[in-house]
Amino acid sequence: MSTSSSIDISISAGHALHMRPPHVVMDLERLGSLHQSRLSFMRSLVRKIMREGWRIEPRRFDLDAEGYGTVIYRVQTNVDLFSFVLFSQYLDPDKRNDRVIASEWDLTMSLCEGEVDDDYVEYLRLNVPLQEAGRLDAKVMVLSRANRSVRNFDSVVAALSAGRQPEVEQIAQVGYLYRTTAVYGSGKLGMADWEKVNGKHPDFARPFAAEMFNCFMLRNFSLQQAEHIARQRAPETAVPMHPPLKRFFGIGNSTGLGMAPYLINHPQLISRWIEMRELALARVRGLGQITVERLARLHSLVERGVLHIQQTVTEDAWQTDNNRQVLDDFAALQDWLGSQRLESWAPLLSWAEASLSLQAQELLNCILLELYPELVDNLEDRFALAESLDLQPQMLASELLSLIEQRYAWALAIDFEADGATETFWYRSEEKQEPRLGNCNLENGSDKQMPLGIGYLAQQCHHQLSAYLAEHPEHCTASFLLRHPEQRGIVRRMQSMAKTHYGEIQANLLDREVLPMHLLRCKLAFFGVSKFDPRSRLWVRNTMFQGAPLLEDIGQPFEDDWFLPLAPTREVC
Amino acid sequence: MQISSNELTSLLKRVFEGMGYPVGYYEDAAGLVKWLQVHGEQGFGELQRALPFVADTQRPALQLLAEESQALLFDCFGRSALNCLPSIVELAATKVLEQGCVNVKVRNCHNRKFVLKLLSDCARQGISVLAYWQNGKQPISEHVASIAAGATHPTYSEALLGDGSMPDTQTLTLMLSTRIDLLGQLHGSASQRSGFRQISPEQFARAGQSSLEGGMVIAIELWQQLNQLAEAVLVESSEQSRSGAGGR
Repeated sequence: MSTSSSIDISISAGHALHMRPPHVVMDLERLGSLHQSRLSFMRSLVRKIMREGWRIEPRRFDLDAEGYGTVIYRVQTNVDLFSFVLFSQYLDPDKRNDRVIASEWDLTMSLCEGEVDDDYVEYLRLNVPLQEAGRLDAKVMVLSRANRSVRNFDSVVAALSAGRQPEVEQIAQVGYLYRTTAVYGSGKLGMADWEKVNGKHPDFARPFAAEMFNCFMLRNFSLQQAEHIARQRAPETAVPMHPPLKRFFGIGNSTGLGMAPYLINHPQLISRWIEMRELALARVRGLGQITVERLARLHSLVERGVLHIQQTVTEDAWQTDNNRQVLDDFAALQDWLGSQRLESWAPLLSWAEASLSLQAQELLNCILLELYPELVDNLEDRFALAESLDLQPQMLASELLSLIEQRYAWALAIDFEADGATETFWYRSEEKQEPRLGNCNLENGSDKQMPLGIGYLAQQCHHQLSAYLAEHPEHCTASFLLRHPEQRGIVRRMQSMAKTHYGEIQANLLDREVLPMHLLRCKLAFFGVSKFDPRSRLWVRNTMFQGAPLLEDIGQPFEDDWFLPLAPTREVC
Repeated sequence: MQISSNELTSLLKRVFEGMGYPVGYYEDAAGLVKWLQVHGEQGFGELQRALPFVADTQRPALQLLAEESQALLFDCFGRSALNCLPSIVELAATKVLEQGCVNVKVRNCHNRKFVLKLLSDCARQGISVLAYWQNGKQPISEHVASIAAGATHPTYSEALLGDGSMPDTQTLTLMLSTRIDLLGQLHGSASQRSGFRQISPEQFARAGQSSLEGGMVIAIELWQQLNQLAEAVLVESSEQSRSGAGGR
């Protein structure tokens, strides 16, 4: 069935707590303004690793002086055992390409269940470096690859070899040594299905937990590899990197259009993620009093937010403007906070909604979530969902019409006759099935477009249904679909989504001016990335796990405070 | 070669989409094939046999020929069960929720074994179903599948019909009820009837678990054939189209 679960109780509670309405929350531009929060998947994962004290050690570290070779980490959790297997190889600089159409990479890796013996490692060696051109089996949970940020990597190795620490300013410019360009899971290329991972491996039974862990391990490997090469190059002078500097290295990520269809093709899941985030926010908003300590923490995090945004580097004019606006907004926020005696958070949120840009509002929301781990963190277990769009064939056609008019009013309000309103089409290219955007006026292929224009489809269905009802006012949905089989998919979707709290992303994705960037950022924010650096409206670079604990931090005191990471000061380094 | 369940679904969706199945239909068709394969009933073999019939968008649309308070009669005009049966079973389910019992006869329908998943879907809604059909030329086989309301997996049995039987090989009979558990199976046993085979709900469940744990094996030729069919949804690449990928 679709979404009925214990969560319904929370939904009811959510109503009492004044959750923000769907037309506000599901607005595409707002979704494209989200930031990492306590509920982001990386944050949840790191909390789990640190609190449970996972034992992660290299079982094999066969790298030559240039850092090429094979590395296997043994990952012992409280209840399970995994192996992270990584292959490092020389890559011709001319072949270094972040797009899905690339065929060779600096690093390729996989996360497997259990131990891996020599035969299995050889099997992986034959397949993992090939990525999409290879085949795997159900013992493998994640497959990924990464390309080196050559300038950064070389300078870090050079510094460490010479007995120096890397320059903080340089790390602040590019906060990673490698960029991952694809992370595959959920049964791709023969790997374990999500249902298996979810049912058999509770450590990774949250959405994208195994994929995030892969990136966490990659980030740690990248630092160990740089130190290894430095040691090999200059054993007499090389030094290890200081931990605060190491923590400031994340792992780069380059995300393109391929991520966008996911959000449209998994509407129940996305609605659930949004709902949990909003429920957390509603819990905070509904608090009746604010302690001095929490208020002080708010001030501190707002200040940290300002510094974090100031340290975010992007060449993109649009993002630069957004960041500048957030800085202006946060200056206004600091002034406003200085002039108020807050007794609850509601006045602050009301003021923010009226006065701040979307990106600043959502950053403030994330900061508020940061203040109340006890209200927020337990929602992380509710992000997984058994997705199923179920048709309700017995629903009266008249009831279906009402449902569309209530839950898809946003779609009915779109003028699809307007200039450019249906000019964009989404399709899969014959080049590695890469998702692409086309212009109906300039390109062929719109007849093969993916059905991602949900607003358009909903409106078309409404027209058909209205006409059908004029003839058969007493008929049910099944009868309507027998006459109009082409409406089957959208009817099933609308009936299912009407049961969710937040429903669809409310946007015309066929519009000439559509910004897929918003979709990418929404999902990446749920992952927990930071430092959004759009390279066009179709792809974005960002940083994962910057500021997060290192492998060597496991077992040490952990404050879960790597939100809005800042460059370490010289004193700390 | 080894494939996952998710990978199979994704490929099959593209295959059926490429054949012109509308949104909603291609997901259902993929789900029917996957169910058989995942549960150990040679979904790939059935699909290979079905391939000549499944690209059937040129055939007349499914038609409801007659409707009474507790009976429905459909003609599929030689279409595959893959794009007819979900709609038929839905209409029947709607009716049975009102009437308590419904008889459905489906004519001129190919690949009826794919009905097994739909039985499970009905059971989830509290509907018990019994399905009967015959298949093949000489020898002719007969098939029965049934499921109790609320059960997760059906019972399925098949056996050869005796010589001289009059074949009725494109008809499917369905009985649905919310009041009676229709737990029918073929008479006889393996020692008494040629080709007799019976699969219990527990066997289906175990097969499903095994597929999830270890994935599934598919002949590379079929995998390639399906991938070729799926190419119908892909758009030719061009310089213009590369710019739509956010070239970097």
